[in-house]
Amino acid sequence: MAENHSADPVQSRVRDCAAAIGALFNGVFGTLDHWRNQVEASTAWGAGDVDPAVYAMVEPELTAADPLLIGAGFIAAPGVVRGKGLHFAWWLGPLEDNPILGTTTEPSQLDLASREYADYLRDLSALEWYRVPEATGARHITGPYVDHLCTCDYILTLTAPVVVGGSMAGVVGADVLVRRLERDALPLMRAVGVPTALVSAAGRVVVSTDPQLPVGTLVDAGQASGSAVACPGTNLKVMAPTAR
Amino acid sequence: MSQEPSTNAPSRGARAAVFAQLTGAGRSEQVAQRLTDAILLGVLAPGDRLPSEAELAKRFGVALVTARDGLGAVRDAGLVETRRGREGGSFVLAAEQTPEKLLQARLRGLSQVEIADLAVYFGTLAAGCAERAAELASADEAERLTAWLQDADFGSARDSGRNAGGFYLEIAVVSQSPRLVREQIRLQAEFGPMLWLCLTDPAMRARVYAQNQRTAGAIAAHDAAGARASVRAQISDLSAWLLAAKERLEQGEAADG
Repeated sequence: MAENHSADPVQSRVRDCAAAIGALFNGVFGTLDHWRNQVEASTAWGAGDVDPAVYAMVEPELTAADPLLIGAGFIAAPGVVRGKGLHFAWWLGPLEDNPILGTTTEPSQLDLASREYADYLRDLSALEWYRVPEATGARHITGPYVDHLCTCDYILTLTAPVVVGGSMAGVVGADVLVRRLERDALPLMRAVGVPTALVSAAGRVVVSTDPQLPVGTLVDAGQASGSAVACPGTNLKVMAPTAR
Repeated sequence: MSQEPSTNAPSRGARAAVFAQLTGAGRSEQVAQRLTDAILLGVLAPGDRLPSEAELAKRFGVALVTARDGLGAVRDAGLVETRRGREGGSFVLAAEQTPEKLLQARLRGLSQVEIADLAVYFGTLAAGCAERAAELASADEAERLTAWLQDADFGSARDSGRNAGGFYLEIAVVSQSPRLVREQIRLQAEFGPMLWLCLTDPAMRARVYAQNQRTAGAIAAHDAAGARASVRAQISDLSAWLLAAKERLEQGEAADG
């Protein structure tokens, strides 16, 4: 490895790439911060039906031209809105050939009752997109993973905790299809000039220009830390071959 | 709507699925099959009142006469009884008292080759998912799968059926393949209750649970060959159980006849 990183042009381009991908995700987290503020400030949702207000909030992002987000909403902590379980004020953007909803042109609200095959999940609040923000009080990127509750596709889920009166009231979140992210991330990664891979904290490849590291594979931890640059503000990293 | 942790009662979702729209030929047979499966796995419990014929027709998306024929077949099989009067309707009979009737109703309509082929199809999909999951599981995913299985209830036919199916869906998720997940969902919606018919037998419930533990252990150990072998052993058992049940049934019928 080169002694002086800053003099290494490849390493410098990897850092630029990581910064640009970080900015992409920080854009989405900015939207989540905005939603969180709205939810935290709202008095309507605590009292009763939160759904219309949440839909008004997320609808523009889901129906924009070529949207980055395929799903978005607010998931209320157990007991906060009606009933004992989590409450999903969650919408899916227009879908192509979804196994449950078919092809849709408008956003549709997630109805867990239609996901009878997911009955075996005993505790949805134990899932990473809820559990981690609850435990850390910080925003989090889950995945990439196959989401079988909403999109039945390979996605990343971004979530941020909503705190009201000092206690966890739920999470605001957004889903990004990996194949949609690919379109934005690949040009940034190709600009590095050598094969690179965007990997999750767990070492899972999200997007790659290295045919030896296809999407979904795991990169071992030592390999990942050796030549990886963190995307600022996220738990993702850009990996490139060690500078020669 | 909110999702509550599963209790002993099947969720609204499971009940909603029983009455989802039907497509394709032989719809009165499909009505009968859907109701039979639901009763067998306890989604419809003894004493439950079924929707009226008109309501069934509407929810299945079939003609009134089709719903009536389907319900009639379930009544003939001794699974429900229809009472007249103001408190009347069709009620589910106690399943424990009629296991043979349940088996007859379900297995009569299937040929040996259909059962064997279903096992090949499901086994190939499930073994492929397990192999891929063993190659690709992160430490977190393996731990979550193991923890979920640890607490999964395999005590009754209904709970073990739901959880045995859920186990294979989780494995498909860990395989990182949306196509495999979609295919698992489709296959289980179509054949799930049929596949898990053997879980009416307590010995099979214990066996399936032990096999699932071996599969989860192999996935956590990144042992693809072990995960595949364990899944194939289970599917082979399911297939043998179904074929044996059908054989018993038909030999019994021949003897009775």
